[in-house]
Amino acid sequence: MSGVPAAPDGPAGRPAIVVLREAASRYGLIAVLAALPLYLAILDLTHDGDLSKLGNNIVAGLSNGAIYALIALGYTLVYGIIELINFAHGEVFMIGSFVAFGLWGTLGLGLATGPLGLVFGLLATLLITMVVCGVMNVMIEQVAYKPLRNAPKLAPLITAVGMSFILQNVGILWLGASPASVADLIHAQQDVVTVAGVTVHRADVLAIAVTIPLVLALTTFISRSRLGKAMRATAQDPDAARLMGINVNTTISLTFLLGGALAGAAGLINLLYQTSVWYFQGFEAGLIAFTAAVMGGIGNLKGAVLGGLIIGCIQQISDYRIGADWTPAVVFAYLILIMVFRPQGLIGEVTREAG
Amino acid sequence: MTAVRNRLGSHFNLVAAIAGLAIAAIIPMFLDPLSSITDNAITAGAYVVMALGLNIVVGFAGLLDLGYVAFFAFGAYTTAWFASLQFAPANHSKGIHILAGDFASKLPGLHFNFLIILVLAIVITGIAGMLIGLPTLRLRGDYIAIVTLAFGEIIYRFAVNGDAIHLGKGYPLTGGRQAIAPLDSIDLPGLPAFDDASNLRPFFWFVLVLVALVLFVNFRLRESRLGRAWIAMREDEVAAASMGIPLVKTKLLAYATGAAFGGISGAFLASYQSAVNADQFQFGVSIFILAMIIMGGLGSIWGVVFGAVVLSFINTYFIPNVFNSIPSHLGLNFDLTQVSFGIFGFLILIVMVLRPQGLFPERRRKIELTEGIGADESLAEERP
Amino acid sequence: MTAPGAPASPAAGSGGALAATLLETDHVSKVFGGLVAVNDVSFTIPEHAIVSIIGPNGAGKTTFFNMLTGLYKPTTGRIAFGGREISHMRPDRITALGIARTFQNIRLFATMSAVENVMVGQHSRMSAGLIGSILRPPRVRREEREAREKARETLSYVGLAESVHDERAINLAYGDQRRVEIARALASDPQLLLLDEPTAGMNPQESDQLTAFMRRLRDDRKLTILLIEHDMKVVMGVSERITVLDHGEKIAEGDPLEVRANPLVVEAYLGKQG
Repeated sequence: MSGVPAAPDGPAGRPAIVVLREAASRYGLIAVLAALPLYLAILDLTHDGDLSKLGNNIVAGLSNGAIYALIALGYTLVYGIIELINFAHGEVFMIGSFVAFGLWGTLGLGLATGPLGLVFGLLATLLITMVVCGVMNVMIEQVAYKPLRNAPKLAPLITAVGMSFILQNVGILWLGASPASVADLIHAQQDVVTVAGVTVHRADVLAIAVTIPLVLALTTFISRSRLGKAMRATAQDPDAARLMGINVNTTISLTFLLGGALAGAAGLINLLYQTSVWYFQGFEAGLIAFTAAVMGGIGNLKGAVLGGLIIGCIQQISDYRIGADWTPAVVFAYLILIMVFRPQGLIGEVTREAG
Repeated sequence: MTAVRNRLGSHFNLVAAIAGLAIAAIIPMFLDPLSSITDNAITAGAYVVMALGLNIVVGFAGLLDLGYVAFFAFGAYTTAWFASLQFAPANHSKGIHILAGDFASKLPGLHFNFLIILVLAIVITGIAGMLIGLPTLRLRGDYIAIVTLAFGEIIYRFAVNGDAIHLGKGYPLTGGRQAIAPLDSIDLPGLPAFDDASNLRPFFWFVLVLVALVLFVNFRLRESRLGRAWIAMREDEVAAASMGIPLVKTKLLAYATGAAFGGISGAFLASYQSAVNADQFQFGVSIFILAMIIMGGLGSIWGVVFGAVVLSFINTYFIPNVFNSIPSHLGLNFDLTQVSFGIFGFLILIVMVLRPQGLFPERRRKIELTEGIGADESLAEERP
Repeated sequence: MTAPGAPASPAAGSGGALAATLLETDHVSKVFGGLVAVNDVSFTIPEHAIVSIIGPNGAGKTTFFNMLTGLYKPTTGRIAFGGREISHMRPDRITALGIARTFQNIRLFATMSAVENVMVGQHSRMSAGLIGSILRPPRVRREEREAREKARETLSYVGLAESVHDERAINLAYGDQRRVEIARALASDPQLLLLDEPTAGMNPQESDQLTAFMRRLRDDRKLTILLIEHDMKVVMGVSERITVLDHGEKIAEGDPLEVRANPLVVEAYLGKQG
């Protein structure tokens, strides 16, 4: 099929109607996303006279959003390279929390541990958890996706669901079916600073402090390193990449490794933040993070981060203003709206060439 | 089997169905009227109806619906609204009764005859199916899965939080996590009311009738203009549209028909179990039904029946009763019931990787899966 | 069949006789993101003619086809069939109106038999709905029976041996698959038949047979045929008029002799001389 370069004397740029439609749907999405916070901002201003309530929601939203961003990156990396929704990714995050919790026990980290021990202990936990989850994600790929690479897309989606259920059950067997409380190692809710009535807690600082370097490391890796280039090439056009000598299978596995590692990091942060762990947290977080990835633009790394932050805020606002019972419905409603009206998300997708 | 099949030709399905149903109908006569086997068989029958419904959406039309539990919920709540004390204030607390049984006629709330409820369930879920299908029409396969899953979860949330939603004073939408109970039993005109405290057989025969009807509809549809359109659409949506198949209408019909089966099953099970509570409608149910049709063979009517019966019995009988203590015998400290949905996840995984066409594949499916044919390209995508 | 109100444009170079225009495109372009695949193409097809579109690879021929059948919507411009605007019509509506097509890479429904494939082609000419499909009243039974008979007739007409009528499409020989594709397109009783590289993969003998068959189709069934082709022998042999696309633009149009001698056409295929 043809991929024709723009003719030099062709119509100047794209026809106006196409540009307008594209802009309308992007700003439409932004409007839909901004509607709820704006409404609440007005409500707060009239009721309380300041925006501190909303401000607190947003601070918590951004730090939760950082966690979602890490998970969303995993979804988007995998989708970008093999156009597959890794349905079991949320469970990798969940297992990450479990593994981290287990490591605390092994390393003897507890409330009595001194600050130096805590820092090194948590760093070690972070590294080990990331490795474990990265490897686990690769194993999921080898077992559930690789054998089905030539099957219709239905097939790997189903095996992913199966995998997700197996992992959830592992969680149930590990710590039971109810959420389990965990030692508040970093005193997550301790105030760090309060500005204009808006309080930043330790947990918020932690989430942002861990996420930023990880995201920077990832983007640098992908844009600068040889392997990162291989990933981008494979995402664009796997056949061409193969012809250029890139080992597509290894590249795909590497992508899963990175995605899993990020999910593992998210698992540890979540553990420190929420001070609880639950077999079902991956299902919920997974779907919310997937919504984030789609909202930002699936396949787009910046989009995943942006989407994560936005969704985190939406979730917090919904939890506190509408009711935590309704939050999943709210998030999923946004997901449906996006997928129907603007599936390419805010930033638009990087699609594979039709070939 | 193949020899018999060839001899009977196009009548094989009819003969097999009659034989199978006849044998099934006789079995309870040899069992205690309240036998737990009959109880499990009734549940299995309800699942057969649901699986055949999902088979139309996923197996025939190729639309991966991961939110099928929503239709089960609508059917169940139809019974809960129209055959219970839920809306007790109706009609000045005297209740509205349409062909209700003797016992129910004296009670407040809405009490319609179960046959009316079945019709209502079909209508309500048919409409719900179309509404849920509508946003998916221009989406590609994996996106359809996510959107239908999202809808399933939203419906679940409404079910859970519905006790706080009031349609009017004293008319809560659902009972939330508390059961709406008791629900009227099945009371057919001319026959004594079914009573699950004394005799389960009438329930079983009723579900067999439902299974027979649903089988009939499935077989008829498969060899029809609509069935061909579904299969063509599943294999190659773009070519199908180019041959004159209206995609929107064809997809919506698949969703509506599949949904209606889910509604029938939900309404029946609610009446049989005499209770409905929101926890019955979690995501796991959608996967359970999906596992049935995958194991049996996507698209294959007999395969799906087999898959539904087997998985249902594994779930309600074998795991809790027969295999439950295996892990403890092996020195592990959990019961098998605690890992039942891990087991189903494992089954799905294994079947899809090793034998994706299922145990009794429709002849088409094996070809599709090995040749990699499938609806991967959506008409809405324009690619150079 | 002349549609009321449609200007009857003379078919360029078709031997002088004025023929009604069956299909016309008016300054049609298709832009994908930054790619201009088709650029301002105005084009007509006279009724009962056999016309071809040719051009080097990547010229935009199939994209143009896809716009005629509704798979793509033109970014700018209009398309009219029988005087009726079809620019933004759904593909199934366009088929119902009377345009049918085959595909460059055969897109039969692989697990259906040849007969079933052709019956799918008849979808827009049948009327059984959901209830009719379930209950199968006599009217529906008759419709199914007649559709099946008609499918077999069409398959025989295109030369498919009866022994393979019920064979799964994926098991058929390549040449037979092409035949079934054509039969499937004919099943909707079209007025305009679009053939996308029908002789791809054929040897010269088969191509000749197809050429003769196309003439028969036009004569027997009063069809109009639009062809995309690379095989110059076929194109020159069967076309009454040829349109040449290059880089999405129309660079030449006329009868075979005119087009063959056109220096722009030669250049497009062979590159600039000297």
